[in-house]
Amino acid sequence: MTAIADTSSDPIEAVLDLPVRYIDRSRAYYMALGYDNPYRWAHNDSVPFTALSKPLNRSRVALITTAAPFNPEAGNQGAWAPYNANAKFTEVYTMPVEPAPDLRISHLGYDRKHTSAEDINSYFPLARLKETAAAGRVGELWPRFYGVPTLRSQRLTTEAHAARVLGLCREDRIEAAVLVAT
Amino acid sequence: MSLVSRHLEANGIPTVVMGCARDIVEHCGVARFLFSDFPLGNSCGKPNDVEMQRSLVSMALDLLESAQFPRTTVTTPFRWAADAAWKRDFYKLDLTPEQIARAREEFDVQKAVLKGKLQAPGA
Repeated sequence: MTAIADTSSDPIEAVLDLPVRYIDRSRAYYMALGYDNPYRWAHNDSVPFTALSKPLNRSRVALITTAAPFNPEAGNQGAWAPYNANAKFTEVYTMPVEPAPDLRISHLGYDRKHTSAEDINSYFPLARLKETAAAGRVGELWPRFYGVPTLRSQRLTTEAHAARVLGLCREDRIEAAVLVAT
Repeated sequence: MSLVSRHLEANGIPTVVMGCARDIVEHCGVARFLFSDFPLGNSCGKPNDVEMQRSLVSMALDLLESAQFPRTTVTTPFRWAADAAWKRDFYKLDLTPEQIARAREEFDVQKAVLKGKLQAPGA
């Protein structure tokens, strides 16, 4: 038995063990708080697709994250920290993979009740990717990764941030990318 | 993150997205998506479970190679917990009017902080 007992107040995802419908949940939540401009999540009919140009074990791979570099001046960013907009970043950044960076989750919408964020490897797979690269599974894990801010504006994300990440990928001649949402 | 993935794919760079919000990522539409049915913030596995984390990275790389079409989602085989009770809690709405007022007040403060950061010189 993996679902839970059905009571009238339990969301259907818990009752039937479905993936949580975050769009519905967040929309209802912010409407309940009195905001009258519910977020419209990006939606597209068509999806671009590029196949690998060469085998992965000969490809140069980049890691891309939405996690935020720890900022000692930005208040609580530790495990179980409440939402802290001051810890958010607003521009695409890049950092070396050595030494391993200290990144935290500053995103508004992560699960602060069930996600401790106590282990960076649960949201930033650098250590695991390094092991994989060392074992020859990928040709080369590129020695710097890219960070992308999570702000409300889809236009900003697409026209500024995604364009900037593409520029970095081209500069570094990246051949495949692993993107991790936090 | 889905928007960045799409932009890279449209410009010739293959991507795989690791994430936990299936509806959001699939609504946007990405080429390859490794979905773990975990609380948001655990896209790479459970904290301190190195074996699981290793498996998820391996599956993401497998997906990079194997996908033939866009919108290819692979669901990882792991469970967050024995039951689905954790799915009750995110943005739960069983709040008293006082709790709603406090949540609104706190969020307004955070919105103002972010707005200030975005308007700051160099932002």
